[in-house]
Amino acid sequence: MTTETNANLLDTPERAPAAPARTLTKPSFIANVVTIAGRELRSYFDSLTAYVVIGITLLAVGGFMFMGDDESFWKTDRATMVRMFEMLPWMIAGIVAPGVTMRSVAEEKRSGTLELLITLPVRDSEVILGKYIGAMSLVLVLLAGSLLYPVAMFTKPFWNLGVLDWNPVWSGYLGLVLLSLAAVSVGLFFSSITENQIVAFFLSSFTLLALTAIGKAVGSVQGWGGDVLAFVSILTRFQPFAKGLIDIRAVVYFLSIAAIFLAASFRSLESRKWS
Amino acid sequence: MIAASNLSKVYGAFRALDKVSFDVRRGEVVGFLGPNGAGKSTTMRILTCFLAPTSGTARLNGLDIFDSSLEVRQNLGYLPQRAPLYTELSVFEYLRFAASLRQLDYGTFMKRAKTVVEVCGLAQVLGKEIRQLSHGYRQRVGLAQALIHDPPILILDEPTSDLDPNEKAEFLDYLKQIGRDRTVLLSTHNLAEVETACARAIIVSRGRIVADGSLGDIRGRSGKVRYTLTIEDPKGELKASEVSEALAAVPGVSTVDQRPVQGKSLSFEVSAAEENDLRPQLSQLVLQKGWMLLELRRDAQTLEDVFRALTVGDARRNRNLKASAVEEDDNDDDDDDDDDDDDDEPAAPAARA
Repeated sequence: MTTETNANLLDTPERAPAAPARTLTKPSFIANVVTIAGRELRSYFDSLTAYVVIGITLLAVGGFMFMGDDESFWKTDRATMVRMFEMLPWMIAGIVAPGVTMRSVAEEKRSGTLELLITLPVRDSEVILGKYIGAMSLVLVLLAGSLLYPVAMFTKPFWNLGVLDWNPVWSGYLGLVLLSLAAVSVGLFFSSITENQIVAFFLSSFTLLALTAIGKAVGSVQGWGGDVLAFVSILTRFQPFAKGLIDIRAVVYFLSIAAIFLAASFRSLESRKWS
Repeated sequence: MIAASNLSKVYGAFRALDKVSFDVRRGEVVGFLGPNGAGKSTTMRILTCFLAPTSGTARLNGLDIFDSSLEVRQNLGYLPQRAPLYTELSVFEYLRFAASLRQLDYGTFMKRAKTVVEVCGLAQVLGKEIRQLSHGYRQRVGLAQALIHDPPILILDEPTSDLDPNEKAEFLDYLKQIGRDRTVLLSTHNLAEVETACARAIIVSRGRIVADGSLGDIRGRSGKVRYTLTIEDPKGELKASEVSEALAAVPGVSTVDQRPVQGKSLSFEVSAAEENDLRPQLSQLVLQKGWMLLELRRDAQTLEDVFRALTVGDARRNRNLKASAVEEDDNDDDDDDDDDDDDDEPAAPAARA
């Protein structure tokens, strides 16, 4: 919107009415969450965050998929996207979720904008949920972007290298969405406990990578120890999705993590009142 | 409209607020004064539901800050210190954002925006991103968002700190105008502003209220008046110490201070109790001694004097000076009053620790 059009819209000033107009409409939870999420998403695209995170991730996934060792896309020579689903969980855990959420609360605390936001008639839960949905939307944009790879490789106007079984791709994406729901929630929590976005990034990146990496250790740990690791690991929970299996226990696992860390973020935001 | 009762806020061992109670009625514009770190912002943050008090509570418009926090905030316009805004939004977008969280529909928003944009002088910058604006303009945007829903209660934390003198005057005018049927609580360290815009002031120091009343009452609180006396001394033969001794000997005079000399004259500031007018005695003394009188003036104490007298302990404590220094310098009016404000800030965290 340009300055001129705004000036035209507003160029017939009116005096304030004598009696103040009270805003007694019951605040709508959904409307507030949407407003906050919208602003959040806007600011991602306004700063470099969105472009950097999406760019780095897509490049890294592409690089990993097509180049490198014997299992890369060209060398396996099969119509499968397994390679992409190997890489994406690590990217989401290590960079995407921490990078997208690091600013959410931490930066608002540091710059003081949180005070203005919270003294508007919004509930703390709306703030957290709005920020969560804003961050999640950006991750979904990124995941949608990564669809370019299977589309470019296996559909008609493009290369159309073969007949791809799309079912594991869709279930893989379902898994990625669930994984992101959990990871973004963890990132949001770490952003809410500090005023420093860099600290927030490293805390959540470390936590999420650790949760992912212990999945690699599952094979080498025998007995109940291995079971425990498999139970808590993001990676082992995700792997069935990439093969086309929808594991209800994993769905519950990811959603529980999301819920727990959302509640923790909410508490952390609320704790400002009492500290 | 605003009723704070026994608000206390404790951070660890630091007592930021200690049983603060006050009432602000509808139609009042109240100045909330105090040195930095005295608890002004903390009080405002409690009233706006950003912080919770450790004990005590407050009611705004009859609504409790704990029980009806959302409704309290609906009835409130708040500008935090230094106007923290989302700098990536344009001014228009920011106002739209605040308005939609305040449940204003688009039509109402546009109507209100016209008024607010005119009042805050934002028409030129509506489409600009906030990060491109100067501090003065950012503060205006902060004001605009506080006014967008035409709230019955306005809480403004140093709203004029980044405005230039013309903007300040305009803003204070506007405040007086809207203050007639609203409740305004305005924090500032600029005492001249309080004298322009407010009929009443609350002075806080170290988390306590040290004065609360009409400006006249507060000015009269110390019960002292000042006389300014200037005598001519063309040949430079008068000794300042002799003159000040003679002045101090006049019955009723409590202190005498020499003011900086301007040209060939000596100037003194004499403070005395309010009841008796000492001007006859002083002029008689001047005649007796054969001095050439240039000026003799009687002033009520200014708000500034009272402010300094009431909060001087605060400033001293923050500068880590001994309490004993307080008495000596109590009437030291020649200091620029701004230095209170500047010096406190770095010391405040130390006091907390």
